Amino acid sequence: MEGNIYQMGQVIGAGLAMMGAIGAGAGIGIVVSGAVQAMGRNPDFAGTIQTNMILGIAFAESIAIYCLVVALLILFVGV
Amino acid sequence: MTASSNNRILGIKNRYLVLVLLIGWAVAYNIMPPVLVHIQLPPEELTHPVQLPILGKFAFTNTMAAMLLADLILLVLAFAFSRSARAALAAGARAISGVSGALEALMEALYGLTETNAGRWTREIFPWFATIMLVVLVNNWLELIPGVDSIGILHADEHGYPVQELAFGTTLVAGDAHHAAGGLFGLVPFVRVNSTDLNFTVALALIAVVMVQVFGIRALGVGYFKKFWNTSTLFTKPMFGVIDFGVGLLELVSEFSKILSFSFRLFGNVFAGSVLLFVIGFLVPSFAQTIFLMLEFGVGLIQAVVFGMLTMVFMSQAVVSHHGDEHADPEGAAAQH
Repeated sequence: MEGNIYQMGQVIGAGLAMMGAIGAGAGIGIVVSGAVQAMGRNPDFAGTIQTNMILGIAFAESIAIYCLVVALLILFVGV
Repeated sequence: MTASSNNRILGIKNRYLVLVLLIGWAVAYNIMPPVLVHIQLPPEELTHPVQLPILGKFAFTNTMAAMLLADLILLVLAFAFSRSARAALAAGARAISGVSGALEALMEALYGLTETNAGRWTREIFPWFATIMLVVLVNNWLELIPGVDSIGILHADEHGYPVQELAFGTTLVAGDAHHAAGGLFGLVPFVRVNSTDLNFTVALALIAVVMVQVFGIRALGVGYFKKFWNTSTLFTKPMFGVIDFGVGLLELVSEFSKILSFSFRLFGNVFAGSVLLFVIGFLVPSFAQTIFLMLEFGVGLIQAVVFGMLTMVFMSQAVVSHHGDEHADPEGAAAQH
């Protein structure tokens, strides 16, 4: 029972900001599922598919990272 | 079963040493519990700021120390590689062995990856890919070295912890804040991982994106800017021309968002990783951090590869002409068949 309303707002806001990670998680799941199916169908192109998969994951993940950066800024810098 | 394989469990040699270290870890934790460090976003300044003519206020920060350390590691690796490569050539060996051999294998893998994407521009694009990847990789992996983030200068801080003297000139931060005799102290580490500083990641992202434009101009000349300001079909084909023009403007916006996404991706991953390591080390001091160190090992590698590979892919896209897209409309496709 310490702290104040400002801190409460910071912590709740950081938690809400991280809700953007939901979409990125689903997106990465879709990317990897598609890539694994493609690798299963033609294993010869596994290397190329993996490269593109990592690129797709990086793009989807960067949205979650934006949310993370916003949450970290709220927590450690303050507004 | 030979004697040597008898001595192994889970592939670990000298398992008693591991057991002793684990017990020592638990004992040390009970004597001297770890504290939650003060987390701050901007890097800590090691020297007093000085006023420079053009740059403005400048102070030597602990992330700059990490950059120098990483540069030193890379230079030592490079010189060791060239020396052992020359020695192998002089001795008439067909392959380099040891760390240099591993470096050579890494370079070959990266070169092959560049070749599949960049084609005849491989020789120009590969150095950027490899340099960015190695710099980011070494900077990320500095996080895993014990002493980084934990050895530094003590300074008075009201949110800090009491300290006690361990040996001459060496102090240890004690966890119990109740009997604070000599005041409270915080720690400014000498070395903090460079990727947790937005200055480094933004600088690297600017270099990458600007060099993408330079490669585009070198390959296509002034025609490169047609990608952003596309008026070639605006009057000949009214509907598709307007769409092409809008796509060009979106390309311009995406170049700027590339800088943001490059810098925030690396910064967010590594900063969140180091915060995770601090918090896990505070909550579960014994053994749990090992697992997260392994996770950070993987994250550091993947982020370095992604940063380098995205630069490489953007560069290889920039050097390819977009003239082919103009003939991709339905009439053109129908006429060819």
